[in-house]
Amino acid sequence: MQFPFTKPSVGILLDSAMRRIDDVLALAMLHAYAGKGEARTAAVGVSSPDLQAAQFCDSMWAFYASATTGTAAMFMHAPPVGLADGKPSAGLAMLREPLARRTADGKPVYPNTIKSVDDTAEVPTLFRNALMAQYDQDAAIVLSGPATNLVQLLDMYGAKDWITRKVRLLCVTGVDIEADAAAAQKLFAGWPTPMVMAGREIGEALPFPGEAIEKDFAWTTADPVADAYRAYRPMPYDAPSWAMAAMLYAVHPNDGYFKLSGSGNPRQLVLDPAQKDRIIQAYVALASAKPVPHKSKHPADDEKKGEKKDEKKDPAPPNGH
Amino acid sequence: MITKKALHRRTFLRGMGTAVALPFLDAMAPALASAKNAKPPVRMAFVYVPNGIIMNGWNPDYEGQLGELPRILKPMEPFRQDITLLGNLTHNTGRALLDGAGDHGRCCASYLTGVQPRKSVTDIRAGVSFDQIVANQVGKQTRFPSLELGMEDARQAGDCDSGYSCAYTNNLAWRSESEPLPPILDPRALFERLFGNGVAMTPEARARENFYRRSILDFVSDDTHQLENNLGPTDRRKLDEYLSSIRAVELQIQKAEKDNAQIDPHMDKPYGTPADFAEHFRLMSDMMTIAFQADLTRVITFLVTHEGTSRPYREIDIADGHHPLTHHRNHPDLIEKVTQINSYHVKQFAAWIAKVKAIREGDGSLLDNCMIVYGAGLSDGNRHLHEDLPTLVAGRGGSHFKPGRRIVYRKETPMCNLFLAMMDRMGVHVEHFGDSTGKLDVLDLA
Repeated sequence: MQFPFTKPSVGILLDSAMRRIDDVLALAMLHAYAGKGEARTAAVGVSSPDLQAAQFCDSMWAFYASATTGTAAMFMHAPPVGLADGKPSAGLAMLREPLARRTADGKPVYPNTIKSVDDTAEVPTLFRNALMAQYDQDAAIVLSGPATNLVQLLDMYGAKDWITRKVRLLCVTGVDIEADAAAAQKLFAGWPTPMVMAGREIGEALPFPGEAIEKDFAWTTADPVADAYRAYRPMPYDAPSWAMAAMLYAVHPNDGYFKLSGSGNPRQLVLDPAQKDRIIQAYVALASAKPVPHKSKHPADDEKKGEKKDEKKDPAPPNGH
Repeated sequence: MITKKALHRRTFLRGMGTAVALPFLDAMAPALASAKNAKPPVRMAFVYVPNGIIMNGWNPDYEGQLGELPRILKPMEPFRQDITLLGNLTHNTGRALLDGAGDHGRCCASYLTGVQPRKSVTDIRAGVSFDQIVANQVGKQTRFPSLELGMEDARQAGDCDSGYSCAYTNNLAWRSESEPLPPILDPRALFERLFGNGVAMTPEARARENFYRRSILDFVSDDTHQLENNLGPTDRRKLDEYLSSIRAVELQIQKAEKDNAQIDPHMDKPYGTPADFAEHFRLMSDMMTIAFQADLTRVITFLVTHEGTSRPYREIDIADGHHPLTHHRNHPDLIEKVTQINSYHVKQFAAWIAKVKAIREGDGSLLDNCMIVYGAGLSDGNRHLHEDLPTLVAGRGGSHFKPGRRIVYRKETPMCNLFLAMMDRMGVHVEHFGDSTGKLDVLDLA
């Protein structure tokens, strides 16, 4: 009996500078979507050369994996975090303070596996490798920060073909991209897939409510997102949501959260005032979501199933010869 | 004809059906110098072990200068200054990439090809392996462009891993995307390939010949005596050691043939294959040494046992199959057994490296002019991980590499970047290979 093939949920590649709190909130959204089965975390890269940012991303993965126990936990494997090359950025309290937090017996509350740059990956290589593992037109990239990494990806031998084949959408936040103006120009001139831009006005019109930190995160006393939020600025404050808007649209472009203006590439996200409350509710629900147990399996179990598997897939395209 | 004046590097001792190449002798130096190639050639070999490695017994907890080696690498202690340990090299094309189960098939087929093999039992597709790219370019200078060797199961058909053909798990070298080069498993077959006239012998013909002769060296004795008269004392000693090593291999093969005939005349192993793992390894590696020493080839791949093998290791009192053991689910007893297998493999490798290092060549040792990679297509065999692949390079690649170090690259660094660097050392210059992103840096002396 033949069953219709359904693609898995969209694979998201997040490339963010991790310099603003909405970057942290967008990463939390991604993990929450993964927990709900609405998206997959294909790759996470950091475009500022800040080791603490990579450590924080890694600790976020560990936090969301913490609900997984038993055999499934044994076979979970932390994916590498991508980190841009360059002179280290100044440390940020929103990263430093959660990482420094300790339990009563002196252990990190949010442990991570990154000790040096060698424990991170070059973002273009990480993204190229991640794209190779996606179904065609089943990946989306969220860019929040300078386009340096993505332009390097674009320049990598053979990578443009993978982007064209695998990526259905690039969602760009309109703030900070000009930090590397040359890269931004090259990106918009040469990127081979549809793009949308979450402009400055979108993030400012849809602030993440600071009051949610005390209310919706109250299910735990140790959530790295809440700790980062508190450390970012003196509480209480509401945070513009550029990266969150881009993430929301990347995962659910057809769910009516936003409209699009223009007909070029990139197009702009436009806020429908009627959707404002719905969007902010989605932000809060996702950012404060509890970790969900994963269902990872033993590779030997896959081997047994694979013995019966049909040969149905086309070969991967050549990638370098 | 052998003359006193110019002993050519390609001189052979010849006899009926026999051609014994010579090692690098001092008497060849003037001839080589005049050919503006005074330096011995660089050789490369890959020694592949299956099913991953217990990585906390392999990876030192430090970078830089090699100090005390972890448990699995202990046999390499005497060669600390001759080896380089590389960390974080990755084969992305070994991963599932939408193809589901079959990591053993994929990791072996992608190991030297750098491409994701087609999941199929019948429609075999991988890519040209980088050793063959090198062999195509430098192989014209040697009797054999490359040698493909192994010790277990050269089946080329059937399903060996979750829908992947045995051609993927049982070969390292690929001449074209659809044509793997099956390894020679039988020491006798290898011996005859190295020193014979290229005609395969039937067991009956071989038995008849064995009855009448003692050694292939008998057939070349005239040439040998003539050559010895033209050599200085150092070269005479070198030649004597070399020919003795050939004779030792020959005797080992004859012994294995005799033992096998007594054990079971109908055994499915090749007739000259020793039943003992270490003995088999030693024979194959001794012939690899001779092949490099005599410049019979500059490219060797050695698939120690095939990927996914369930071979037990009764030689070290392990009756369980290798592959099932590697899915240890963190059970300490099983991890211990896998560690012992990993150590046992490295011990055999270390014994080979000792021999390669002991051979003088030019201003240094044969090992100095080699790049011998010992590695696996999986790191953690329990979880089937394709990153931080265990990778050890022995030798200096002809004074190019600075060994004695552990170098850790960034995560996801393509293994193919190492291949690009090695191709460079072999004089083969290509911009891209597989999923490479550039030549591996830091390896060089400079």
